Amino acid sequence: MKDQNLYTEDELVAALKKRENAAYHHLYLHYRGSLFNLILQIVQDAETANDVLQEVFIIVWKNIHKYNQEKGRLYTWLLNLTRNTAINKTRSKNYKNSLKNDDISIYVNSIENKETAVQNINLIGLRKEVWKLKEEFKTVLDLSYFHGFTQEEISRALHIPLGTVKTRLRSAIIELRKQFR
Amino acid sequence: MKIEEYISSGIIELYVMGLCSEDEKREIESLRRQYPELEIAIRDFETELEAKMQQNTSLPAAETDKRILKSIDELRFSVDNFKTTAKKTQIIRMKPLMAAAVLLLIVCGYFIYSLNKKITSLEKQISGKDAEFSTLPAKDYKIMLEPTITPVAMLGVGIHSICRCTMFWDKKTGKIYIIIHHLPQPSSTKDYQLWAMVNGKPVSVGIIQDEIRGRFIEMKEIPSDATEFIVTLEKAGGNESPTMEETYMSGRI
Repeated sequence: MKDQNLYTEDELVAALKKRENAAYHHLYLHYRGSLFNLILQIVQDAETANDVLQEVFIIVWKNIHKYNQEKGRLYTWLLNLTRNTAINKTRSKNYKNSLKNDDISIYVNSIENKETAVQNINLIGLRKEVWKLKEEFKTVLDLSYFHGFTQEEISRALHIPLGTVKTRLRSAIIELRKQFR
Repeated sequence: MKIEEYISSGIIELYVMGLCSEDEKREIESLRRQYPELEIAIRDFETELEAKMQQNTSLPAAETDKRILKSIDELRFSVDNFKTTAKKTQIIRMKPLMAAAVLLLIVCGYFIYSLNKKITSLEKQISGKDAEFSTLPAKDYKIMLEPTITPVAMLGVGIHSICRCTMFWDKKTGKIYIIIHHLPQPSSTKDYQLWAMVNGKPVSVGIIQDEIRGRFIEMKEIPSDATEFIVTLEKAGGNESPTMEETYMSGRI
């Protein structure tokens, strides 16, 4: 198996598009840790996270031709695909966790009232960083990034104008980026 | 809005993390082609985000690694799967042609069906007609089909012009078969007698005992050099020589 350093990003993408086995093994072994971490932040259940991780790599294999290098790095594509797959999982019927993810009001209430269900969220990685932000930033980022609600949905649920949601999201993410450094 | 302001507005981060609205996404994707500094800023954040995310890792169980790598390998092995998708698109392209072919088939099918129906009903009609002749045994049909058989039409003579029968003369065996189409029922004291004219002299072939219409009547063997046949009405049991005044039918070879 090729060492990760033997692939440049261009080479890796080319090999993935040729559906070379070694390239997929490399991709998996190189990124599974951070992707699995993000999945756990969203689905909050290791067993479900395993399934989502597998689903992600199968989707990558089947849809690699849709990845356009001009629109972003491979990891950016991978990360967004992983987030979407995990969020879809939390909205599916067979999602075991009690934190079923299709009704925004439940989250808005629990965030606002600091309910135990939400307080019990296992905060790791990026989500932990988000939860360090001040309340109004935390709420919009958590609802959009980890729950997948749209700006309009958040606007309606929080009873704040769409413009305010946009402003808060931008400010929140700038603050978050500052925490990266 | 200046591009520097745009770059530092937080839109780049939202875009990279997939949190833009569709409108915002279209805007930034258009602007990044016009402003190299925007493109660079996007790439920078992507690199930064990747580095940050790669710091926070949770490794799945070793069994999960095995299972997922195996499932990827299986996808690889089923590359035929992939080829099948290509074939599928070909099939999709062929759809209009296929639809036309199917339509043609249906039309042909209906045509054949209705034709078949007609044939069946015609066959029924024919078999109905057949039933009228069905008293003719199979062996009689066979006789008529023999290549050595010569048919002789016997036509009514004089006032008996209405009378008709057909003779089948087997020259090989010398046997005569008669199918009577029309011949009045003789009185109980009379019989119809068939004669063969051999060298101008009548030779009795025998009494036509059965007058049942359509029935084959086998007569006795006659010499192969007969040239003409006549049917006369004689006394019951027949005569030594024909009563020429009572000639009902005659037929030439």
